[in-house]
Parts: sequence; C-alpha cells; structure tokens
Amino acid sequence: MNCKTLHKELIFFLEGDLPLEKREQLEAHLNECPDCAAFAADIKKTLQVTENEKSTEVNPFFYTRVKAKLENNETQHIAAFENVFLRKVLQPVLFSILLIIGVYSGIKIGQPAPVNVFSSTQFDQETVPYLNEMETESIETFLME
Amino acid sequence: MSEAEIIEQLKSGSEPAFKQLVENYQKLVVNTCFGMVHNKHDAEDIAQDVFIEVYRSVRKFRADAKLSTWLYRIAVNRSLNFIRDNKKRKWFQSFEDSVETKTKALQNLAATKSDQPGFQLENQQRAVLLHEAISALPKNQKVAFTLSKYEDLSYSEIAEVMDLSVSSVESLLHRAKKNLQKKLYRCYKKKCL
Repeated sequence: MNCKTLHKELIFFLEGDLPLEKREQLEAHLNECPDCAAFAADIKKTLQVTENEKSTEVNPFFYTRVKAKLENNETQHIAAFENVFLRKVLQPVLFSILLIIGVYSGIKIGQPAPVNVFSSTQFDQETVPYLNEMETESIETFLME
Repeated sequence: MSEAEIIEQLKSGSEPAFKQLVENYQKLVVNTCFGMVHNKHDAEDIAQDVFIEVYRSVRKFRADAKLSTWLYRIAVNRSLNFIRDNKKRKWFQSFEDSVETKTKALQNLAATKSDQPGFQLENQQRAVLLHEAISALPKNQKVAFTLSKYEDLSYSEIAEVMDLSVSSVESLLHRAKKNLQKKLYRCYKKKCL
C-alpha cells in the first residue's frame, strides 16, 4: 500500500465501505505514514460537519409560517386570477367595442350628405349669369375714352 | 394519528391533519432541503413550500407509495429548482455582490452556531469547504449523497426516492465520494484551512 492508493481509497475507508482485508492494509499504512494520517484526520473532521449540521431542534413557529404562507398564496392566487381575467378578457373586449364604434362612426362621417332637391332648384334660379364685359363695352370704346 | 389517517383527513381538507403532518415531517423536510442548499433560512422557506404543495396536491397521492418518499421527492425537486434559480440570479450578479453574499453566508454560519462552544472558526471553514464541494457535484450525485449523509437513508430507500435501481444508487454514491475526496485533497494540498 502506498500513499497514492491510500488517497484514492481513504473516503471509503472512513465511511466503512471497504472490505476487511483492504481496511487492515490502509490502517497499517496510516500507522506508518504521518502525512497520510494527517490527511485522514483532516478529511474525517470535514466529513463530520454533516453530522453537526443535522437539525435536531424543531422551529416552534414553523407551522404558523406555513399556514400564513398558504393563506397568502391563496389570496395571491385569486388576485392573479382577477388580474388575468382583467388583462386577457375585459381589455380585449373593451378595445374591440371601441374599434367597432370607431369604424362605424368613420363610415357614417364618410358618407355624402343627402341631396335636397328644393334647395338645388333655388340655387339654379339664383345663379348670376356670366357677364361678358366685351359685349357691354368693347375695347375700342374703352381705349377711345 | 397514523399516516393513512392523516392522508385521508388531508384529502377532505382537515386542518388538524395538516398540522399533524407538518409536525411529524418537519425535521425530515428541513434537513433534506438544508443538505441541498446549505442555508438554514432558505431550507425552511423551501420546506414551507413543500408542505403547501403537499396540501394542494394530496388528492393525487397514491396510497401504494410511502408518504415520506413522496415528501423526499418534493423536497429534492424544490431544492434543485431553488439552486437552479439561484444560479441564474448569480450569473447576473456583479463580483462585489457575490463576495458580499459569501461574507454574509459566513457571518450567518457564525451567528447560527455561536451558541455552541465547540463550534469554532475552523469548523465553520470546514463547513463552507464541504458545502462548496457538495454543491460542485453533479445533480444526481448530490441528491444521493445528501439523502445518504443528512437523512441516513439506505441504498434501497434512496433508490425509491430517486426512482433508480439500487446498483445505480451505489454507483452514484461511489462517484460522489470519489469526487468529494478529490476536491478535499486538492484543498488539503493548497492548505485552504
């Protein structure tokens, strides 16, 4: 057993995953090699951290917080539904109605005004006849003056 | 109240049954989440979401599976989602922010364990080192290792939670330990502590 082999197998040795024969070989090497023994001690301490971290105490307010979060989520869920209904249903309906009103009024405004027959005859009667000035006063008469 | 009774009453929306469920399985869920995210506050937050999901989807629960297996699955999935979202957020964080977050994590660790006289600075550094090494593991290895170390689950229980064969779990744990040892040896050589 050399240091390189030990470095490959050490974690399995510390976790108790190795067969007896291999374990004995590693133990023998660790007794002989102070460098490997120091590394083994270091890794053992680091792996021990998980044991210290396991929570043994129970948070007394945990259930209250879960309950509050659950109620809060439900309110948010309803608010989100209302928001979606407002955005995805009401808004398009409103815009469609506005568009239809706009198009309808545009068509109505664009239509020509109805022709009034009575006023049209009046207009004909009132038209001033074209005045030909040359007939009333010729250019010669104008220049002679 | 037995497990089956809790489930039955939960299906009819009973609040005392929900309270009983939370009290019975709180430690299991928080520990699993902590093993994945390595932060007490985040782990409790995720655990709360786990119980909310259980409350909402208890009707889908099949009686042939164990309740604890179902809880482990939800806890693991929620924790993995949290880690994924956190990674995305960190990607957009500046360097200063990430340094600040690391310092805060160290301070939190010191604050939470300061009441324990045996827990010293060296242990805090070891904890940070081990958390970084576990976090760097591939997803499946991380899940298998966490369930084995933080929850002391057997290979067959891990296999049930992860929906894998026992031999796959053995292989995952073997590779996880090998990867961890590599990282810890590299750090030992560089004298990180």
